[in-house]
Amino acid sequence: MTAGANGNGSDRGVRQVLLVGDTTLDPLARLLERNSDAPKLRCSAAPYGQVFQILLDGNHPAWANKPDNLVVWTAPQLTLPSLGKLMRFEAINHDEALREAEQFADALLQAAGRVPMVMVPTWILPSRERWIQTLTCKHGVGLANLLARANLMLAEKVAGQSNIVLLDAHYWQTGLGRSAHDPRMYAVAKILYSQPMLEKAAAEIKSVLRGSLGLGKKVIVCDLDNTLWGGVVGDEGAHAIKLGAPDPVGECFHAFQSALKGLRARGILLAICSKNDEKFALSVIDDHPAMVLRKSDFVAWRINWKNKAENLVSLAEQLNLGLDSFVFLDDSPQEREQIHQMLPQVFTPDLPVSPADLAPFVSSLDCFETPALGREDFERTEMYQAECGRREVVEMSGGVENWLRSLQIEVRVARVQRENLPRAAQLLNKTNQFNLRLRRMDEQSFWNWVEERGNSAYVFNVSDRFGDFGLTGLASVSRRGEEAQIVDFVMSCRVMGKKVEEALLGYTLSQALADGAVRVIAPAFEGPRNAPAREFFAAKYLSGDEAAIDRERVSVPSMITLKEESLASA
Amino acid sequence: MKDLIAILNQIRPGQDFAGSTDFFSQGVLDSLDLTTLVAELETRYNVFVDVEEIVPDKFRSLAAIQELLAKHGVTL
Repeated sequence: MTAGANGNGSDRGVRQVLLVGDTTLDPLARLLERNSDAPKLRCSAAPYGQVFQILLDGNHPAWANKPDNLVVWTAPQLTLPSLGKLMRFEAINHDEALREAEQFADALLQAAGRVPMVMVPTWILPSRERWIQTLTCKHGVGLANLLARANLMLAEKVAGQSNIVLLDAHYWQTGLGRSAHDPRMYAVAKILYSQPMLEKAAAEIKSVLRGSLGLGKKVIVCDLDNTLWGGVVGDEGAHAIKLGAPDPVGECFHAFQSALKGLRARGILLAICSKNDEKFALSVIDDHPAMVLRKSDFVAWRINWKNKAENLVSLAEQLNLGLDSFVFLDDSPQEREQIHQMLPQVFTPDLPVSPADLAPFVSSLDCFETPALGREDFERTEMYQAECGRREVVEMSGGVENWLRSLQIEVRVARVQRENLPRAAQLLNKTNQFNLRLRRMDEQSFWNWVEERGNSAYVFNVSDRFGDFGLTGLASVSRRGEEAQIVDFVMSCRVMGKKVEEALLGYTLSQALADGAVRVIAPAFEGPRNAPAREFFAAKYLSGDEAAIDRERVSVPSMITLKEESLASA
Repeated sequence: MKDLIAILNQIRPGQDFAGSTDFFSQGVLDSLDLTTLVAELETRYNVFVDVEEIVPDKFRSLAAIQELLAKHGVTL
């Protein structure tokens, strides 16, 4: 298997998508191509009804374009013949139907070895399909029961294959009800799904792809008045704002805050940008009995009378994140318009007019997609808060060297292994600034690359006396004879500016030399935002050789403790 | 009519819809575009096009689409 038709850096170009199904999927292919959101796609829909032939046969012409992504969307009544019979009230053996589901899963597993990522919408039936309600959920009897078991069987069978992603088509269908399927279009062109359903599918597939490429949003910046609570606290006082029971409007803002708290729990950072008196607003946040979000839930805030564009830029600088990773939520159309005009890279959606729609709105945003959830996600807010503490210390410590020494930084290095692979791939795909090559690879492709002879990859966990940054560094090396190339050199922006990159390079170089390399090169890819990485390496090259590392210019700083963890080969 | 051309341009950008007398035989649209066009027209003009009407003949030109919409009470 290759790491993608576009040479490991697929995000730089157009990604190839192959759609396979038992009904016509050409309209979905066109919608995916026309969808202007990143990434750009070139899609081909295989002739319908050849699902197993294509999945099982790597030489099938459908694979000719070497797709980066495969979408397999089948209808259960067609792909599982027994289920189709049950739909028509014919007697079937339910275990036989589940074996059919298992066969389909086996075919998916085979195909997953040929393509970096496979997306499979779950099986759904047309909403208008009314089976006998008394019996449909009954085990071993009903249609709804069998469908649920078939979907569970599918999920269990592919659970160990990290490059197969099951997409919740039931969720897509729920929003559309009976209009998710269009029997007219099936009669005309064997298109099973309605245009709105296909549009929803295209949007969700795009969202999952963006997540897999690290293009998801990372920060939500909220206004306060009439956004986190009802009313203007500065005018009306803390007791008069609408927040919490029994006031129904207050209930809505409470629900909205709960939805935001849920996003914070899964790694989305929360920040505040509000025109208010800072001291008073923060006291309301921490003291109001109905507040769900407290000061500790926010990584930063700008509560002042400056214009909000200026404040967002300042927040981005403080958090060391690009503005294109920001979502700005503000009830004021004027404030939103200003951000639209001045900072178009910030995603600034129109908020619903009714407070009742706020929580459902934020819960339905598709910009926070991620391919995996790990410890770094769950503890992200605390990690960023600890970083703010470090910055306060640097101002009191008298010089950067003293400050760094006072931090007691420790870097623990390990080889890339199955256990740390999800986070390693996440780091590789999400990091834009300190990323030497901007190589984007899904987990399986990266793992395959690591396992190739001559290749090695390391991950770095960084901590200091304020807390643990988690797995925030990645380096990979490919050695051919006496020359080794540092292929990936990636570091989270959370640890930038602490000489951690010096330690990472020092270690990586020493490993390459110990492995037999005489010359170590580290050519950079010039991306739009990876100047920090390029500039760091520019200072490490041999004079007159703009790719080879000068070992005299590389060392592990004395104030950083470097420890090797289990370094058993992957 | 501007609205209609805008819808068609969304489906197939850059085609000369006004200058075409038969979208399908002249390669301006294909049969899959037809299904998209039906969905777009239904959304834009709040009409329901039944299955017997979903044939290329009813959508082959601006005039043909105009006539179909007129039957559904929509005047362009």
